[in-house]
Amino acid sequence: MSKTINFTIDGQKVSVEKGESILTGARKNDIYIPTLCHLAKATPIASCRLCVVEVEGSEGFVLSCNTQAVEGIEVKTNSDELYKERQNIMKLYDVNHPLQCGVCDKSGECDLQNKTLEFDVDSQNFAIRDQKRQKKGWGVLSYDPHLCIMCERCTVVCNEVVGSMALYIKPGGYKSLIDNHYSSCIQCGECISVCPVGAMASADFKYTTNVWELESVPSSCAHCSSACNLKYDVKTLGVGETDKAIYRVTNEVAIESLCGAGRFAYDFENRATKDELAFVKAVEAFKGADSIVFNSMITNEEAAVLQALKEKFSYKLINKEAKKYQEFLENFASVSGTKLYSGSLKTIEESDFAVTLGCSISADNPMVRFALNIAHNKRSAYVTCMHPLEDESLRNVITQYVKYEVGSEEGLLAMLCDLVVNEEAREKYSSFFDSLDSGYICGESSVGEEEFGLLYQKLRRKTKPVLVAGADLYNHPRAKNIAKLLGMIAKYSEFDLVIVPPETNSLGVALICDLDSVPGVKSIGYNVKGDFTLSALGEGDLDMPALNQQEGTFTSLDKKVVPLNVAVEFKGYELNDIANALGVKAKNVIDYTATLPQNSGYKDIEFDALENRFTMFEGIRGYELENVNVKGDDSIEEIDDLAEYNGSVIYRCNFPFNQFNSFTNKAHQTESEPFLEGSKQFAIASKISAGDTVRFTMDGKEYIRKFKISKELKGTLALNPVFDSTDNYDEYRYKQVKLEVVNG
Amino acid sequence: MSKLPSLEDFKDRNVVEGSAYYDVDQREAPTTGMEKFKQVVNRTFRFELFIGLWVVLREMIKFDIHTVSYPAEKLPIGPRYRAVHEMQRLWESGTERCIGCGLCEKICISDCIRMDTRIDENSRKEVTEYTINLGRCIFCGYCAEVCPELAIVHGGRYENVSEQRAHYTDFNDMLTPMDMAISGKVAEYPGFGAVTPHEDERIKTTPLAY
Ligand code: SF4
Ligand code: SF4
Ligand code: SF4
Ligand code: SF4
Ligand code: SF4
Ligand code: FES
Repeated sequence: MSKTINFTIDGQKVSVEKGESILTGARKNDIYIPTLCHLAKATPIASCRLCVVEVEGSEGFVLSCNTQAVEGIEVKTNSDELYKERQNIMKLYDVNHPLQCGVCDKSGECDLQNKTLEFDVDSQNFAIRDQKRQKKGWGVLSYDPHLCIMCERCTVVCNEVVGSMALYIKPGGYKSLIDNHYSSCIQCGECISVCPVGAMASADFKYTTNVWELESVPSSCAHCSSACNLKYDVKTLGVGETDKAIYRVTNEVAIESLCGAGRFAYDFENRATKDELAFVKAVEAFKGADSIVFNSMITNEEAAVLQALKEKFSYKLINKEAKKYQEFLENFASVSGTKLYSGSLKTIEESDFAVTLGCSISADNPMVRFALNIAHNKRSAYVTCMHPLEDESLRNVITQYVKYEVGSEEGLLAMLCDLVVNEEAREKYSSFFDSLDSGYICGESSVGEEEFGLLYQKLRRKTKPVLVAGADLYNHPRAKNIAKLLGMIAKYSEFDLVIVPPETNSLGVALICDLDSVPGVKSIGYNVKGDFTLSALGEGDLDMPALNQQEGTFTSLDKKVVPLNVAVEFKGYELNDIANALGVKAKNVIDYTATLPQNSGYKDIEFDALENRFTMFEGIRGYELENVNVKGDDSIEEIDDLAEYNGSVIYRCNFPFNQFNSFTNKAHQTESEPFLEGSKQFAIASKISAGDTVRFTMDGKEYIRKFKISKELKGTLALNPVFDSTDNYDEYRYKQVKLEVVNG
Repeated sequence: MSKLPSLEDFKDRNVVEGSAYYDVDQREAPTTGMEKFKQVVNRTFRFELFIGLWVVLREMIKFDIHTVSYPAEKLPIGPRYRAVHEMQRLWESGTERCIGCGLCEKICISDCIRMDTRIDENSRKEVTEYTINLGRCIFCGYCAEVCPELAIVHGGRYENVSEQRAHYTDFNDMLTPMDMAISGKVAEYPGFGAVTPHEDERIKTTPLAY
């Protein structure tokens, strides 16, 4: 489909795909064209005009960032006129720009500074009367309009990448400035990261250090399964200190994004000392225990250590959530024939038709949300979100909402199968399709047949469809059949699939550990409460390093093995030390990187050989797992009766968006109090009011939470955030509960 | 060389016939034993030694004595001398001049400056800690030269006695005392780090719309 366009830039032959810009052609061939507003991840903004070039035979200058290359053109990137033009642009930017580089956070990495020097602006011959402008603060954001050059990068990412549509331009010629529909802002900080000057700044970071004093440690975000690439910027804690602290998080803004958790929840390190007594006790405890309970906030290497310990001492490995996810993947594989799903974030971004099912997108995995939004904006993708909860914050991302009754996921998926799978599947699973009672399913799930009709109609002209399955499904009472239905879609349709791992490294744990379901009698807890607890939160019997203090790897949603590096030194003992004391020897924990199980798709690559670099267009990080073929029982059951949920139903879902776990709840910018949040409708139906303290039982635990009414939510569902606990869960995410008001 | 050598000629450090460089005062060194003996005799029986002795004697008789009785008496130190740093305040208001730009910290070639900053109540950048490790400082003066605010300068305090060098670099000790600053007793700082006298001539004006 794609056609190659050949042309020349400064006499050099270059070629791009049809539709790509002159600038892209230049960058692919390492030819420099200055830019200020361009962001590879967004559509061209074309506000700065710095990227002007001359095209042989055409009048005037051409903007290289938003001009598509045409066969045979001759482009010139440098001439005296171009230099003068660019110099004048910089002079105009510098009119009335405050001379405050001395205190500005951006100094040293400021595009305005750089380009002013690059084009040798040493005098000014333009002037305009200065305006009084007001500084603004919006939560984590701090906006100084005096410094703003109106490049529009912030508004573009907020709309095109994040999909919040919070930032907008308040027009007014020279008086224009940026404003924020604050209630739509999800506090992701994308706007801060792309601002080329110091105008949109982090309120917390402001004036804490000069940026050149920071040292960048490339690593991976520890908060959700996207495992986004980020850099921890570290410096000593203060004058006279030798220990380092993380001052901020940065990333490759032109091509990648971060959500607010990655960007702001960075200081979750565990500052501990070597406690020899506790270590001896820990080794003793391991000798006396018969099971290890843990969650997926660990690295692949630690998972491998646990697996090695299991092999030597027959411990039972208990990780409820990962176990469910593992079974889900196995059942999926039994039908699809491949161990892993085929899609990735990139597939979502490039899709033209996306359906999500059982995934609370913004809360579970913000990068999925960003990717859907990019697809929506860049490819005009038709995005359908199937979920019982209508998420207001997604209104700009989603084209069609399919709201269903809690518990009817299996039925919906069957309907979806019916829409999309090919004849081969229909034949093979004819009894399944014959028994499908669409009237019953539509009735029970409250999804009209016309909604499926619309979907079908929209799907017909699309070529790159993707289905995103979320964490509501893995613990579903009918998870086994749901997984198999997904397998059917994967094998017998055009759809790419993404089965979002529920926690940071659930995929890694599922692929590396041989998990058990029945716990023993004496347990070691790793980040989860056990009879003896190892904790990276500093709450247990022996301190462990947090994920910003470890070398290792994660297995991300993209099915990639991505590296983590040490940002803050950990002075205590780590899991590998205990394993060594127990006779499972390895000098460093990263010695396990090359030994990760190859039958799961891992490769024999040493940690130090993992790549972690960037081009102008993409990040090259770690390696991708081999998607191995597997065989299994590919029978599919008929749809069971759909369960009914009435009364007060509570959904296990973290909120606000930057909260994922106890680590984000430890970081000073994101910590918060967990509330039970529901709509007004929920309050009325459950006979409670805002501010009430309520008691309820869920996931075998008794919760006492303050109730808050949220304008964003609709329907009779309430959210119960669990970021204040390290537990993980194997129950279905929805529960019908009895609420008891226990005020006072 | 007939014509004056240019800068380019000097960049060629290969000293050969005709280059910008030539050897100065190259006398033949004695080689034989006899020549060496002659040189010793010559040097020994010149009367230079006695000339020196005579000068001392003459000045002693005239009572024209220049000895400074240090430490009771001290010589004034040249304004460009680079001793222990001082931190200046603005005249009148007494506000600290340092804005925390960090250029001194960056430029310091012995990496001995470290500072902490924060945002203060008026949303200005405030320096909360500022230290110079004098054990490492080589008094090169780069910090004072780079400072855009004339905040850090080299003072004239060259005598330091303490158990630890770190004692000289307490930020508050380096700062001009507040009472002096607001009483207007401090003159425009003339020492190392101050602006050169003809600075005004070099300033370019920016057009203003009002
Ligand atoms: S935005 Fe850039 S040019 Fe403007 S004050 Fe800050 S560092 Fe200087
Ligand atoms: S923080 Fe995120 S959502 Fe809020 S204004 Fe910035 S980009 Fe938009
Ligand atoms: S705040 Fe920054 S990113 Fe936004 S328009 Fe101004 S300069 Fe550009
Ligand atoms: S929490 Fe997830 S989406 Fe957000 S930065 Fe971290 S890995 Fe990326
Ligand atoms: S260079 Fe001057 S103003 Fe800047 S931090 Fe150093 S002393 Fe302060
Ligand atoms: S990069 Fe092309 S207009 Fe800014």
